[in-house]
Amino acid sequence: MTSGRRLTAYALLAPGLIWLLLFFVVPLFYMGELSLRDGTLGNFYFDWNFANYTDSLSRFDEQFLRTFIYAVVATLIALVIAYPLAYAIAFRGGRWKNALLLAVVAPFFTTYLIRTIAWQTILGDNGFVVDALKTVALLGDDGRLLATPTAVIAGLTYNFLPFMILPIYASLERIDIRLIEAAKDLYSSAHQAFLRVTLPLSMPGVVAGTLLTFIPAAGDYVNAFYLGSASQAMIGNRIQGLYLVERDYPTAAALSFTMMLAILIAVFIYIRFAGSEALMGDETEEAT
Amino acid sequence: MRKNPRVLLFALAVLALTLALAACGGDDGLSGGETDEVPTATAEGEASGTLRISNWPFYIDNKTVPEFQKETGITVKYTEDVNDNNEFFGKVQPLLEKGESGGRDIMIVTDWMAKKMRTLGYLQNFDQEAVAPAKEKLVKSLQNPAFDPEREFSLPWQAGMTGLVVNTRLAPDVTSINDLFDPKYKGKVEMLTEMRDTVPLVMMADGIDPAEATKEDWLNTIEKIGDAAQSGQIRKFTGNDYTRDLANGDAVAVIGWSGDAVQLQADNPEIQFVMPDEGCMIWADNMVIPVGAPNPAAAYAWMNYVYEPENQAQIANYNYYFTPVEGTKEVLEKQGSDAAKSDLVFPSEEYTANCSTQDDPPGNEEDIAEVEQAFQDVLTGA
Repeated sequence: MTSGRRLTAYALLAPGLIWLLLFFVVPLFYMGELSLRDGTLGNFYFDWNFANYTDSLSRFDEQFLRTFIYAVVATLIALVIAYPLAYAIAFRGGRWKNALLLAVVAPFFTTYLIRTIAWQTILGDNGFVVDALKTVALLGDDGRLLATPTAVIAGLTYNFLPFMILPIYASLERIDIRLIEAAKDLYSSAHQAFLRVTLPLSMPGVVAGTLLTFIPAAGDYVNAFYLGSASQAMIGNRIQGLYLVERDYPTAAALSFTMMLAILIAVFIYIRFAGSEALMGDETEEAT
Repeated sequence: MRKNPRVLLFALAVLALTLALAACGGDDGLSGGETDEVPTATAEGEASGTLRISNWPFYIDNKTVPEFQKETGITVKYTEDVNDNNEFFGKVQPLLEKGESGGRDIMIVTDWMAKKMRTLGYLQNFDQEAVAPAKEKLVKSLQNPAFDPEREFSLPWQAGMTGLVVNTRLAPDVTSINDLFDPKYKGKVEMLTEMRDTVPLVMMADGIDPAEATKEDWLNTIEKIGDAAQSGQIRKFTGNDYTRDLANGDAVAVIGWSGDAVQLQADNPEIQFVMPDEGCMIWADNMVIPVGAPNPAAAYAWMNYVYEPENQAQIANYNYYFTPVEGTKEVLEKQGSDAAKSDLVFPSEEYTANCSTQDDPPGNEEDIAEVEQAFQDVLTGA
């Protein structure tokens, strides 16, 4: 490689790197510095105050646990809904494929906030969903959906579902249909062909989809705010409260970092378990 | 990928550069803030130019601003960007810390927030001469509040009461804050996220006078509220958005603000403000001039304008909160407005006999922070 070409490579990288530097590394540095400060509003001074981190873990353990449970459950439900749907669009969509994909993306044309607030009306005590559930006795006479974990998880699932559907669709769509035909030629049942050919080939989509759903769901606070109550508050709500109400900026920053770290660890373990090849699609790519 | 040492080196260089840049950033506005001398916002010359006001939603009719512009030639940028004292503070604090107001000449904040901003050196004193015409008409009961006994840096916009807002058809027998803890209404009652409204009211229902409450009283009351939230008795804690839950029946009785009840009545006559047996909380939202306000002269022109009884009547007739301006009742009576007869706009002394004024928990800043934190824990179900 000549030095000229190398320079070109860096030059091409530059816009991305500068962007990353300005909008990720620099703010991250400021937040890290803030998270180690001590004192009260008007006089926060830098003091290597690591107690902010231990405090944030011990004070907010309940919300941490809640956040991870909600995010995991929402991700699993989204997966169960999204896979069959993506499968149907990819293999049975025919000429409707584009229209169906558009239908998946269409809700994005309305802002996230408005859609969540709309769910307040749908799940309201006098709304048709609660009425219907009461009729079939799935919900007690004085039962409700709003301000319960069910509503928050439903909201999370709904809001991040497209992030699950699209990657799964993309990987299913790429599958060479002849491979499935070959499996059948070799006397596999439809069931076996799915488990041993289709599913493994679609794993990159599944891994990408679960990550794209889990990460924003864990960081979300809008659903808990509008559809939940005090007992459903997630870490995001607590960070917001620390910044805007208690104005304890150092603890808020420390809590944000702790949250980021917790998600990173969870994601890391997951990828180790699922295999990073699944995410990148390297091996499957070579196998075809 | 093959590990390329040059790439690694480059990345390290980038990181080092970042840190160097960040270190040069210098004052980020979080550490300073000591001001001994409070500046005065002096009115220089004729009021003209542009006036920027930050106020709460639903707090002004739609004629006052255009009429003021016509009369004075001042252009008004009126923004409804105060939804919650804390949230607004979070937004403007970094600017105020640097001595800037983001172009704002007047902000409207509640008593305790005005006090807090003052303590932090974020507000300017009024030019007493320039604001004199307005101050002359201020009603007696609002002239000497504890946080600003001489009204040196604040002037009320409107005042109001925090009490019960009730759907009288679905919860006909709610007359006390204690009724909100009645199992009959489980999951159908809501309280305010505003600590200085919710906690003293519950305290009063337990027979404690908020003016004399200790920190332990505050913490015990907060614990009681927390238990009711955990058990599902309290559906949720809200800001102004309890109006939505009352309107569609998700809630039947809430702790809420007097003026909101009147606005909800327009659609549903069954929703009413109920004065709790124990009394109510009285608060005022105040016009203040932040540091760095570009056009104080216009700010005083505005204050004097809205303190003309004729102009104030128009505002009171719209928002139905207490009006702070002497002589407004007479104007409204002459116009035959219902507002003149309303206990919510012109409360008689016996109507508000048991009410307290809103204030901070006792103690120093750390004590207050401890109480705030306990309440935040309740709000997020810890």
